[in-house]
Amino acid sequence: MSTVRQQLRQQKQLDVDRLMNWLGRSSIHLVLIIFACCCLIPLLLIVSASFTDETTLTRRGYSLIPQQWSTQAYDLIFRNPEVILRAYSVTMFTTFAGTLVAVGLMSMLAYVLSRPEFILRKPLSFFVFFTMLFNGGIVPYYILMTQYLHVQDTIFALLLPYFVVAFYVLILRTYFATLPSELIDAARVDGAGEFRIFVSIAVPLAKPALATIALFTALNYWNDWTTPLYFIRDSHLYPLQYLLYIIQSNVDAMQLQSAVGNISVGTMPAETARMAMAVLATGPAAVIFLFFQRYLVRGVTLGAFK
Amino acid sequence: MKSTISRRSFFKSVGAAAAAGGFSLSGLPNLIGSGQLSRRAAADLPRLVYIFPGAPQPDVKKVQDALSAYIADRIGATIELRAIDWGAFDKQISLINASAEKYDLAFTAPWVNNYYTNISQEYLAPIGDRLTSLAPKYFGSLTPAMWAAATVGGKIFGGINQQIFVKPFGPYIRTDVLEAIGLKDDFNKLTTYETLEPIMAAVKKYIATGKDKTLTHVTYNLSPIMTQENWGYDPQDFMLVVKSTDTAAQVKIWSQTDEYRKAAELVRRWYQAGYAPTDVKLWSEQDNAWKAGQYAIRVSDIVKPGGNVEILARWGQAVTSKAIAEPLLTTGGVTATLTGVSAVSANTDLAVKYLELVNTDPVFYNMLCKGIEGVHWDWADKAKGVIKPGSGKTNFGDTGYNPNTDWMYGNVFNSYYADASQVGAWAETAKLNKDARPSPVLGFTFDRKSVETEIASISAAQKEFADPLGTGIVDVTDGLAKLNKALKAAGIEKIRDEMQKQIDVWKAKKA
Repeated sequence: MSTVRQQLRQQKQLDVDRLMNWLGRSSIHLVLIIFACCCLIPLLLIVSASFTDETTLTRRGYSLIPQQWSTQAYDLIFRNPEVILRAYSVTMFTTFAGTLVAVGLMSMLAYVLSRPEFILRKPLSFFVFFTMLFNGGIVPYYILMTQYLHVQDTIFALLLPYFVVAFYVLILRTYFATLPSELIDAARVDGAGEFRIFVSIAVPLAKPALATIALFTALNYWNDWTTPLYFIRDSHLYPLQYLLYIIQSNVDAMQLQSAVGNISVGTMPAETARMAMAVLATGPAAVIFLFFQRYLVRGVTLGAFK
Repeated sequence: MKSTISRRSFFKSVGAAAAAGGFSLSGLPNLIGSGQLSRRAAADLPRLVYIFPGAPQPDVKKVQDALSAYIADRIGATIELRAIDWGAFDKQISLINASAEKYDLAFTAPWVNNYYTNISQEYLAPIGDRLTSLAPKYFGSLTPAMWAAATVGGKIFGGINQQIFVKPFGPYIRTDVLEAIGLKDDFNKLTTYETLEPIMAAVKKYIATGKDKTLTHVTYNLSPIMTQENWGYDPQDFMLVVKSTDTAAQVKIWSQTDEYRKAAELVRRWYQAGYAPTDVKLWSEQDNAWKAGQYAIRVSDIVKPGGNVEILARWGQAVTSKAIAEPLLTTGGVTATLTGVSAVSANTDLAVKYLELVNTDPVFYNMLCKGIEGVHWDWADKAKGVIKPGSGKTNFGDTGYNPNTDWMYGNVFNSYYADASQVGAWAETAKLNKDARPSPVLGFTFDRKSVETEIASISAAQKEFADPLGTGIVDVTDGLAKLNKALKAAGIEKIRDEMQKQIDVWKAKKA
């Protein structure tokens, strides 16, 4: 009898535990769901607005579901799709080519700095480190790029700035330094030259760190809109993010002009067209990200442990 | 020099030789021959680099070549048009200036590529003396009072682009609504904002009848009534004003004037009467709502000749307007559009000659504004100076060259009309400018260095207490008391005294 009661009590206890457990988990889920909605709703609003009829949008404002379905905005953009396609290709190119070259350059520099035998290791490391603390500022940067390197309005202006990022070099150097020196000695005994050691021994072992840096660099290139803001005038070289920025800020500038008064600059691009542009510019990238997210996250955490 | 163009001229001469040698592609040899000549001549001439904000135009190279050919034998230079997208212009031009990158001319104004910063940083060359000697016709086309507005420290640093300098504010009303309520005569006889009230009331009644389905409000934004010019004041920075008729140029605090109270009371009354949406957040949507036809009256906007046509083209609303504010020539109005000459330019003389040309030669100016005749535009009525889109296009936007910013380049009174209904607007505008009363502080600019800290707190107080008064959501007496208290605490009196001091010095120097 008592055992039955005990069993019952245990059962009840289990139920309570399960309930508490369930409550705890669902409350966490609830918080996360609300947070996710906060992130998603603005995006959905843009998508919905891009499919809304222009006058309906001005009259009734934004809503999550288009009140008056219309693909007019997309028709307008696809009449002249080169702008977006070109921006895509510029961004793709800088991201891939830039990341490739940047990781190559940074890993070589970092590897050299990690080798205790290298005579200039200390001064060179300090030189790299120093640029992290102090830099010349924007005007000397501009002068260097335009009056010495003459890269303004070329694709190199978009590529150069991220080729070597001091902080990433230091991360890589630290990683290379953890490789056992015996490995390198062994390779040398086997007759490998310095470059061979770097390519065949150090780089394969440093893959996790390289993957992380490659990811960061790729994101830098993908998101970069300040470099073109300084150096690119030719609209054929606008990367994607900058194109979006320009579209938005052109509208702001027009509003500024009407605030100044007595000046009028044509008609602004229609609200819906701007939204459609944003959807087209970010949409495919978002889809690609969904597919690659797994690898990206792994890339980030890989660097954390050996 | 020769070696750099040799490759091109090699191809050219091969082409020419081939053509001469029997290829009878009619007219081609001629084209190649003349192109080669003018290009070689052009290569030897100094090139003026002109930087301005604007969306890059597809056909800009064509127009640039045509412009260069036009000015090559007139002032002995060629020109390069360097348009920078609006969103990037301020950033790029400031870097170009700071790095002493070579260019010759640039658009400058207090609101973009800041004229006064450029002067204090010595990015712009003083051109006053050169204007009188090298650009006499242009210099003479503006009154001394206007040049005084662009003068800083006794020197002129920018060529003024003539456009409407004055701001004759007044109400705009949708013509169909005005006809429906039958108060056309009353509207045309308006002299003060108070007399607009019966018309507002009539529109409200008209909305209640429900005859116009889209119309939901009488007006959308009442705050423009608070604009200083509406009440005969020349606005200086931050809540400070000088009465337009006060030759002693006494600086006053705007919120402490009788006119400010009157304006605020008017706004409050109209707000309470329900003439504007009660949700003031909607007010910033006034342009979209105007386009959608949701309200009938814009209470206070710049009423300029040809303005109604512009509104029709831009917003699709046929409107009637009436200026109420007295046209006042202020520093800000004149300096709103300037062309500066770079301090590092190697061709300052040529740049000033260019200013003479662009401001006095309609052919050149319109080529810059509208493109090439027969390609980007054609005459619709040459006698009246009216043009239409070229190459059989129906829209100027499709022709390949339509910056649509005539005011940026030079004297807009020389520009061709894009619409027959605008004919005569330039002459009227020029008259408005000329007849306008010059502000007693025309040409004065405030040096804010010594009061920077106060300025920051002033704008905070303004946002917190002045903006609600401009919307009518607070009681006037109470709101005014709070505003004046906050402004005083923020140190407005110090700024006022400093400005008065500077004005007195400036006046003494002028006299």
